[in-house]
Amino acid sequence: MTQTLTRPRQVAPKFTEPPARRARTFTRPLQYLALLGYVVFLGFPLLFLLSTSLKTPQELQSADPSFLPKHLNWANFGDAVEKADLAQAAGNSLLVATLTTVVVTVISLPAAYALARLRTRLRGIATIWILLSQVFPFILIVIPVFLVLKQVGLVNNPLGLVLVYTVWCLPFALWMLRGYVAAIPVDLEEAGAIDGAGRPRVLRSIVLPLLAPGLVATSLFTFISSWNEFFFALVLIQDPGLRTLPLTLARFFGAEGQVQLGQLAAASLLATIPSLVFFLIIQRRLTSGLMSGAVKG
Amino acid sequence: MKRKALLGIGAAAALLLSGCALNGGDSSNSTESATGPVTLTFQSLAYQDSTVAAVKDIVDTWNKKNPDIQIKLTQGTWDNVHDQLVTQFQGGTAPDIIHDESSDIMGFAQQGYLADISKYLTSDVRNAVSKDVWDTVTTSDGKIVAAPTLLQTYVVFANTDALAVEGVTVPTGKELSWDDFQDMAKKLTAGGKFGVGWGLKQPTAAVMNTALGFDGTFFDTQDDGTATIHVGDGELAVPQRIHAMAFDDRSLDPVSLTQSGTDVLPGFLSGKYAMYVGGNFLAQQITESAGAGFAWTVLPPLAGSAGPVQAANPQTMSVSAQSKAPEQAAKFIDYFSSAENQAKLAEGDWLIPASKPARDAVAAQTKDTPVWKPMLTSGDGLASAPFQKAKNYPQWKDQIATPALQQYFANSISLDDLRAQLTDGWSSIG
Repeated sequence: MTQTLTRPRQVAPKFTEPPARRARTFTRPLQYLALLGYVVFLGFPLLFLLSTSLKTPQELQSADPSFLPKHLNWANFGDAVEKADLAQAAGNSLLVATLTTVVVTVISLPAAYALARLRTRLRGIATIWILLSQVFPFILIVIPVFLVLKQVGLVNNPLGLVLVYTVWCLPFALWMLRGYVAAIPVDLEEAGAIDGAGRPRVLRSIVLPLLAPGLVATSLFTFISSWNEFFFALVLIQDPGLRTLPLTLARFFGAEGQVQLGQLAAASLLATIPSLVFFLIIQRRLTSGLMSGAVKG
Repeated sequence: MKRKALLGIGAAAALLLSGCALNGGDSSNSTESATGPVTLTFQSLAYQDSTVAAVKDIVDTWNKKNPDIQIKLTQGTWDNVHDQLVTQFQGGTAPDIIHDESSDIMGFAQQGYLADISKYLTSDVRNAVSKDVWDTVTTSDGKIVAAPTLLQTYVVFANTDALAVEGVTVPTGKELSWDDFQDMAKKLTAGGKFGVGWGLKQPTAAVMNTALGFDGTFFDTQDDGTATIHVGDGELAVPQRIHAMAFDDRSLDPVSLTQSGTDVLPGFLSGKYAMYVGGNFLAQQITESAGAGFAWTVLPPLAGSAGPVQAANPQTMSVSAQSKAPEQAAKFIDYFSSAENQAKLAEGDWLIPASKPARDAVAAQTKDTPVWKPMLTSGDGLASAPFQKAKNYPQWKDQIATPALQQYFANSISLDDLRAQLTDGWSSIG
């Protein structure tokens, strides 16, 4: 008796999409839609500014407003630049914001590392102090700050603003950066130490690269906060040549709600450009830094 | 070592604080003026382009004529001037010459931050302004702490085409009674359009100023600024009429009561409101924003039982008591207040000069623009009001009167509730 062994017939498998891929095909357009919605949401203020800056006063006071201007009125840009010395104000703002960002970063980086890594009694006290310092309203401290700065000759001086903004931004920057340092596994530093690297080398070659996104986020926060600040600048700066952008933009507001809206929008749009450029320059670093922080195992 | 470092830091902090304390008291009045050439800072709050140019022109002309008293012009903003001055007075860095308004400066004057300029003003300038307006810048002990410059009144703007369509004649008398105004509004309300739009998002100033038309004085103020409040029928007449127009005869759009004056303007320009009540400075915005063919005018001043009276709250020019050269600063103010200069500024801002010769000059220069006449006429009925010298008025205005009036105009509380809130609120802060 012979037994024939029949091979089970191989059936060519039907081509079917793997479930994950099928799900992706379905969800990808939704993701793009959500992304588009988010981009529109974020970009709308800028589009609105652009549209407003191109409208005539008659169109801006129309009871039947349209989003797009009916006629392009470029005169608002010319008037805004002529009336408010935007270039000089932007230069002043850039100087103050950049110096503040540098000083805050230089101070907060080692301080954040110490707060995150060193186990001392001061750590708890310092953390509470950082949080408490955020509680005081500006209006409460503005007169003492003004008096102190006047004593040391920093009223009507950009360095006075840098000092105030540094003190103002430092606690939150420190708090942010402390979180980033704490998120870096200590194992990595220990591995570096085992391989013979001293602490400076560990900090330079291991901690700093992993901390890059944190530094970028912190400096972005500091830069934008200093760039936009109005009240301290109003009180501390009196010389027209030292005015920052927010002070210059206030020129377009009058009493009892009057505003030269078209010119204000044009000036605000121009004032936004340096911030956008700054963000464009560092945003690649922000995302690449996030990727480089991965740890295996 | 650590202890030494801590002591060092402590000593530095103590020195700094003691320095602050010494400087903090440095707000004594300057009675002696500097001799020789001086440069004085002048913070202007001019907003309209033409007014900014006029101020610059006045300063340039002065600087050319007076090489020993040079004026350095800086630009401030109405929204922030109070906070800015509070800080600058404390720190001794206020501008020598301060542009503001009487309701804001009298508090600073009571604290001794403004110089008495009465002895420096020429008789021409002093005689050109009415006693009522001088009263708004005079302290209880007789010091004149500012020169009044431009005045604002609340006026009724009217779309003359809308009035013609409804067969309503444009009133031309010396005044327009509230009753007639209400009747006109009723006639002009039809087909989804309202007779009146009135932006009263911040209602207190409008109510306090127009209440004088019904003898509504609200306060009895003593020389030291203490005051007692009285909220009677005269004080409540204006809010009551506004409320009745909005919620009884529906001739005033209640939505407009929640908006600012400038928010309501598009409704007036588009024909939604036949009449529009607001500060006379809004005429500039109407001129700028109205489409071709939009026909409008200003109606005669609103009159209550006491006539077309409103509270005067003039823009002012003061000298800081901390100025090293108060006499020279006052001389510039005297020049700035001349009829020619005031007329120039008033036309740019569509405001009323406090100076009578300047009003006459504006009337002559604007005789071809009919809307100016009723606006200038409304300036004749301006009087000082007790609330302007009540010490706690700014606090009462922000914390009590504004929210109470907002609730009343939202139809959330009754007239009796409003009266109680205004009265009890004053007691609670007084």
